[in-house]
Order: sequence, then structure tokens, then C-alpha cells
Amino acid sequence: MMNRTIKRIAWGVMLLALVLYPWLFGIYYTNVFVTFAIFALYAVSYNLLLGFTGLFSFGHAMFFGAGAYATALALTHIEGCPLLVALLFGFFGSVVLALLLSPIVARLAHSAFAMLHLAFGMLMYTLALKLRGITGGEDGIGGFPIPPFHIPGVVSVDMTDPLNFYYFAIAVLGGSLWLAWYLIKTPFGQIIVSVRDNDKRVDYMGFKVPQTKAVIYALSCGFAGIAGSVYAMFQDLISAAALGIGHSFAPIVMTMVGGVASFAGPIWGAAIFAMIEELTSRYTERVLLVEGLVLIIVVMFFPGGFMYLVGLIKGKWLGFIRGKGFGVITGQWFTKRSGKKATEDDS
Amino acid sequence: MDATTAMYVAQGIHGLAYGMILFLVASGLTLIFGMMGILNIAHTAFFMLSAYFCYQVVVWTGSFWLALLVAPIATALVGVLVERFLLRKIHALGLLYELTLTVGVMFVIMEAVKVFWGTENLPLLVPPLLQGLVDIGGMEYPLYRLFIIGLSFLILGFLAFILYKTRLGMIVRAAVADPDMVNALGINVPFLFMFVFGVGTWLAGVAGVAIAPILTVFPGLADQMGMDAFIVVIVGGFGSLGGAFMVAVISGLLSSYGVQFVSQLAPVLMFMFMAVVLAIKPTGFFGERE
Repeated sequence: MMNRTIKRIAWGVMLLALVLYPWLFGIYYTNVFVTFAIFALYAVSYNLLLGFTGLFSFGHAMFFGAGAYATALALTHIEGCPLLVALLFGFFGSVVLALLLSPIVARLAHSAFAMLHLAFGMLMYTLALKLRGITGGEDGIGGFPIPPFHIPGVVSVDMTDPLNFYYFAIAVLGGSLWLAWYLIKTPFGQIIVSVRDNDKRVDYMGFKVPQTKAVIYALSCGFAGIAGSVYAMFQDLISAAALGIGHSFAPIVMTMVGGVASFAGPIWGAAIFAMIEELTSRYTERVLLVEGLVLIIVVMFFPGGFMYLVGLIKGKWLGFIRGKGFGVITGQWFTKRSGKKATEDDS
Repeated sequence: MDATTAMYVAQGIHGLAYGMILFLVASGLTLIFGMMGILNIAHTAFFMLSAYFCYQVVVWTGSFWLALLVAPIATALVGVLVERFLLRKIHALGLLYELTLTVGVMFVIMEAVKVFWGTENLPLLVPPLLQGLVDIGGMEYPLYRLFIIGLSFLILGFLAFILYKTRLGMIVRAAVADPDMVNALGINVPFLFMFVFGVGTWLAGVAGVAIAPILTVFPGLADQMGMDAFIVVIVGGFGSLGGAFMVAVISGLLSSYGVQFVSQLAPVLMFMFMAVVLAIKPTGFFGERE
């Protein structure tokens, strides 16, 4: 297959570019790239809920934060905690939190789901601020040791070197992105999309809707936890700001600008915002002003986000938009009012 | 009145004053949601914008009373422009897009304020007429906070009168229940939406001016007030003015007595209250829709 060969070559080139990146652009841009990759995974994990399951949350930062705090606490308090164990702490910290919440939230959808997450998110934020003994309050937890990547008898790589950490972070984040992508291609991934489009029908077909929601919820939060965990190790610091409401808005904004309900959308969104931040912060302190304007322009004029634009160009040049209608791309399963879905009429 | 009772009463009035401000902000929010189905994230940014307008008017003219009149109207004008030229155009795309747009508007307002007025705290004096303390049964209490309570009740009464006793109020209530039907009956619903959005931002504006002399004017004003106002609307039930009023007062009292008795837990109390209510009834106290 010609097409497949081209795809393989493209992936190979991309991998090579990732490996060579630090040598081409220097250490500063390497760190910029790691930050972008962390937010890309965070946004993709959010899109698993928003774009693929149709669950709209205002509190995703609490899972990012749970992962980050779990890793930071593990590294601070457990003597000689290995790197991968700290990462697992981050992942399971978020998953456990998600599983604790899921009996309540998996029954809900739409505004109620969003609002309850706003409440829990703010509760977590306030707790992180107030429980100084555990979380360090506003100063957060910092200066914990970053252990080397160590396989006994085989290899031991120093992770305090930014270059080594780059490869570690890219491997972890890239691997997670691949897992998330693989997840939505499985039959289970098809079920969650059906839950988004018509949950009653899925229920009639004999699938358990709340349980399905709970599983994808826990997985999405787990990915957010991994992003948070890498973030904590990357910064060597985690503070309550990572749990704030602004941090909950970030993945929404990235997903909307990149393109909701497409897998690559949030990654592009994260890239666009990383670039905006990088470019505007040279000229002005008011980065948020530019981001707000970009957001307004995108919503007003390109409601499908970057991916829709790509689809349009592709459609013009190649004559097809891959069978994806505008409604799917723009996420019109959210109606204006009430909890009713746009696709309620069984067809 | 002995010292302990005086303290309790003082805390109670304190809580009531805060609750009433909260209600002014929350009523606009809940009115807009009930009518248009828009969760206006930018609402507290309008609240803050009004406080800055108030500061500017006081700097130019020196009159707090003029600011109280002008600043909320100027804020409402900005709100109307946002509704007319931004929100209305994407109404058909649905909730998610309206919400994202208001996030963008919030970012722009919060940053624009820093561009024009800087990031430092701008002090604002309580007008001379309202300075000083009053004597309530042997207890001294700042007059300005009583003024806030009075002003809020005045606006609340006026709002209730318009909503429940006039033709305009009848149309608004009908549009809250079923906008499509009201539209079909020949009422200009888009214009009504714009009007209600303006009134909602005006209410936030009044609250912004009222609180400016107490908290001073600074860019974090929106955050400080914002979450509380959202919680009030959520717990009270979206679109319910009565629910918003009840929860705003509870919230105010909870925060003022909370600081006194369980100062460690005080900031968390309201969130716990909210989490419990929502876990039991996801639509809030008086909310009918999700």
C-alpha cells in the first residue's frame, strides 16, 4: 500500500525530528516543548470527556493537580522512591480520586456534571491552600529530589539533566497519547462515542451507560494525572495554582481552538497556545489578552477550530472532508438550553 | 446589649451585607441563565469592570453618587454590545460555544483593566454622607454596610415589582419558561435577550460600585467575588431568583460566622455545602432544569 508507506515514512520523520529537536533548537526551546507536550496530553485527556463522551467538566485541573501532588508527595516522603513508581503514584492518585467521585458524577450529564466539577475543583483548590501541613499552601511543595531513571544492572540515567528529562517526558507523554488514541479506536471507544450521541439507545442495546461513563472518566483523569505528574517533576515544584480555575479553563480553551471531537485537535490547540505565549510574552505581559482575543475570533469565525480549517483546506484541495459533517466537528450535540440532546430523536 | 450579643449581631449584619452584594451579582447571573440558557463566565468580569468605572468617575468628578449612577450603566452598555455583536451571532451553535465565548470575553476584560488602570490596589473613599458609625441598641456599626443592605433590598424590591407586577416582567418570565413560544407569539425575543443581558450586567455593575469602597479596586476583585456568586447561583438553582436570594444570605452568614467559630475551615464551608447539596439534588435547591 502506497498510502501506508507514506504514513510510515511520515511517522519516522516525526520521530527523528523529536529525537533531534534538542540539538537543533537548544535547551530553552526544549523546555518550551516539554511544557507544550504536558499540556497537549492534559488537553487530549480532557477531550476524551468533552469531545468523545460529551461530558463537560469545569474541574479537570483537580485531576492534573492530584497527579502532580501525589508524585510530589511520594518523592518528598518516600526515601529513594524510583522515578516510574512516582509516575504511577501520579496516575493512580488521579484514578482513585476519579473513582471516588464517579458514583456521584457518572449519573449526571451536561450542566449538572459541569457544575459539580466546578464545586469539587474549587473544594480541592481551597483544601490545597489551607492544608499547609501536607500541601505547603500557596508555596506548594518544591525542591524534592528527582530520582534517576534506573533499571538495576542495565542502565541509570540522571534525570536532573534537562536533555535526559526531555527524552523521558516525551516518551511518557507520547506513549500516553498513543494509548489514548488506541483507546478510542477500540470497540469500547466506539461505545463512548455512542453514549455521547445517543445514550438512551446505547442503554437499549444493553450497554451500561453509567459504568461506561465511569470507566472513561477514570481513564481520562488518569491521563490528566500523568500530565500532572510529569509537570511536577519537570518544574520540581507544585503549588495550589495548578488546581485553580484558570487551570481548569486551559484544556477547554485549547480543545475549542484546536477542534473539539477530533483527536489531534487539542494537540494543535496546545501548540497554538504555546506559540502565542512564546511570541507575545516577548512584547507584552498581557498574554491572556491576546489569548482571549484569539478565543473570541475562533469561536466567532471558525467554530470548528483549527481542525475544521484543516478539513476545509483538505476538502478544497483533495475534494473530500473524510465524511465528517460540520455538526460533528463543532460538537453540536450540546444544545442551547436544558439537558436535552440535539440528537434525541431516535433514527 | 452586652459585648457577646453585640458581636453576634455585628457578625450577622456583616454576613447579611456580604450576602446582599452576592445576591446582586448572582441575580444578574441567574436571570441571564434562566432567560438565555447562557452560563455567563464573564459576569464577574463585568462586576470588576464596573468597580473600575466607578473609580474613574470618582477621579474625574469626585462624586460617588454620580459614579453609582453612571458606572453600572456604562457596564451594562458594554454588556449589551457583547450580547449584540458576539453572543447573538453564535447562539445557534449551542451552549458550549456561548460558554467558551464568555471565557474569551472574561480574559479580555480582565486584561484590558490591567492595561488601562495597572495592577495595583486603587483606594476609594466611602462618600462623606455614609462615613462613620451608627448606634444600634448600644452597638456601633459602620453606616456604609447598612447602606449596602438598604440599596440591595431597594433593587430587589424594584426587580420583583417589575418581574411580577408589570407586563414587561410577564413577558420576561414567559420567555424564561419557553423562549420559542414567546417568539412565535410575536414578541421580539432577540431584543428581549439583549435587554435582559443588559439588566443582568447592570446588577453586577451596581454590586461592583457598592463593594469598591470596602475592598478597594484591584484586578483580583473578580476572582474573590466570582466563585461565591457562581456557587450561589448553582446551589440556589439556575434561573431561580428566590433560590439565589436564599443561598446568598446563607452564604454570607456562613462566611461571617464561619470565620468566627471555625476559622480554619471557613473558606471550605461554602464548597462543602455546595458539594453536599449538588450530590443530593444536582439541579440545586429550586432549579428545574439541569
